[in-house]
Amino acid sequence: MPHNTERLGDLIDSLVPVLVERLHETGLGEIEIERDGAIVRVRAEDLGAPIASAPAPSAPRGATPSAATAAAPSAADERRHPVHSTAVGFVKLAPDIHVGGKVAKGSLVATVDVLGVEVEVRADHGGIVAKLRCATGDPVEYGQELFLLESVGEGKL
Amino acid sequence: MIKRVLIANRGEIALRILRACRQLGIEAVVAYSEADRESRAVLVADEAICIGPADAKRSYLSAPAVISAALATGCDAIHPGYGFLSENAAFAEAAAAHGLTFIGPSAEVLERFESKAGVRALLAKHGLPTIPGSDGVVADEAAAAKAAAKIGYPVILKASAGGGGRGMRVIQNADDLAQLFSLCTQEAQAAFGDGSLYLEKYLVDTHHVEVQIAVDKAGTALHFGERDCSVQRRHQKLVEESPSTALTPKVREEFLARAAKAIGAAGYRNLGTLEFLVGPDGKPYFIEINCRIQVEHPVTEMVTGVDLVALQIRLAAGELMPMSQAEVERRGHAIEFRLTAEDPAQEFRPQAGEIMTFRSPSGPWVRFDSHLYAGYEVPPYYDSLLAKLIVWGNTREEAIARSRAALREVEIDGVATTRNFFLGLLETPSFLNGTATTGMLDAIGTADILAAAPKARA
Repeated sequence: MPHNTERLGDLIDSLVPVLVERLHETGLGEIEIERDGAIVRVRAEDLGAPIASAPAPSAPRGATPSAATAAAPSAADERRHPVHSTAVGFVKLAPDIHVGGKVAKGSLVATVDVLGVEVEVRADHGGIVAKLRCATGDPVEYGQELFLLESVGEGKL
Repeated sequence: MIKRVLIANRGEIALRILRACRQLGIEAVVAYSEADRESRAVLVADEAICIGPADAKRSYLSAPAVISAALATGCDAIHPGYGFLSENAAFAEAAAAHGLTFIGPSAEVLERFESKAGVRALLAKHGLPTIPGSDGVVADEAAAAKAAAKIGYPVILKASAGGGGRGMRVIQNADDLAQLFSLCTQEAQAAFGDGSLYLEKYLVDTHHVEVQIAVDKAGTALHFGERDCSVQRRHQKLVEESPSTALTPKVREEFLARAAKAIGAAGYRNLGTLEFLVGPDGKPYFIEINCRIQVEHPVTEMVTGVDLVALQIRLAAGELMPMSQAEVERRGHAIEFRLTAEDPAQEFRPQAGEIMTFRSPSGPWVRFDSHLYAGYEVPPYYDSLLAKLIVWGNTREEAIARSRAALREVEIDGVATTRNFFLGLLETPSFLNGTATTGMLDAIGTADILAAAPKARA
């Protein structure tokens, strides 16, 4: 797919310093954000080499995201805790849920509206929000990954 | 007008509904539980949505989950398939309240036809002969004993809210009744949330014959012939065929016309099936109605050429009946075999596990409705239906001969199936001469039927 490389360059120039700063602040291993259909991912171990992916394929509404999110296991995986939807419906994220937001274990991180009934989603782990996989108002399926938490090692901060 | 359907079911019927939607140019979204993530309907669907965990109560049987999934995926209709929520009036009503078309009878119609005892009385009023039985639900054991004494033992005690072959018990005499009445009430209460019971005279050596009907919103009611489902095991159908060997041509036509007329007049709408028992006197007695598409609908499709699932969707969308009774031509003979993950050599014990080899049969006038593929994991949570083999012939003999050939081509390894049982059945005289009744498997043991199956090449 042809892509406007100039625009992509501008995007990277403007975003990378912010993301790097955020990485330092939070102690996260990796931050990924999506802008204008491009995904920019910054990793602690290879700072300065951001990966600008091709535009994310727009997943059909309610479709299984598993294929897109499946990754080879690595040491970092142990620190990553995907938070899954507990119901099928429309999601509402808690105010703290944004990249870099802190989450305490057991806290209410989202609700899913099932025909007017708010079904709670609670965090099984404490950590910092590394990646958002949905936005408030999105339709979500049961078990869908809503966001990724990354636990921060004691010595890291 | 229906644009986008949520298919709230699984297995072969989810696939069947998906095909009907595609044929009609309607978008479809398959709703599935976590246990069915790798099911064929989910894999071939343009879109699918997970509605809950494997436990059906929290997925396929959860009205809020199903309706919420329909709204989340922008559907305007729900097809419930069979089982699960398909005949649930509260579900149909909730779907309608959220602006969704329920593909089936409306909540109001489902409610009217919900009580089995009530339906018997209603259809008797509209001219259908019913089996002698209690006058509706029996209030208590004393009332049951009185009714039973009047109609004569043996009787069958049935849960008014039961169905699918569950919630019934044969009572041989007054002592049995005294012993079993409260137990049956408790069982019905536990299984269906309603302990009401009614009773009927228990007819032995009956054929189970059912009439496929469809009614549009204007009340035009057609029948699509009958199906004979006499080969059963513990009230579960194993083989279905059309036409029935138990009806003479004269009885058949009068009976079918009467059934269609009665069901239209009684206010039924959409697709349905009227079940009858045909006793040794050759006369059909109405027993119950099924307000849904049935597992065995392909038998009727094969003899009439009518796509019943497509018709059901069109009627739910508010279309008028697209054909007249005279245009429903019934030709030849069709037989369906329900291949299930059950081991006939071990009391039909249900099986689960990975399908290692899967080869479907083919050939002229052979239809195979199945969600299987090699590598598919049969989950232990749901019913054990793996595939339906449906074979058509100009005559019953031709259909049977083609069935033998097709069954021999079926290869399913990994779980035990009922395939060999059917190969044996096709060598069993009472099946071949069309006299098999619902008591057949009590009269001839499963072992004898299995032994009749031709030996596979070593």
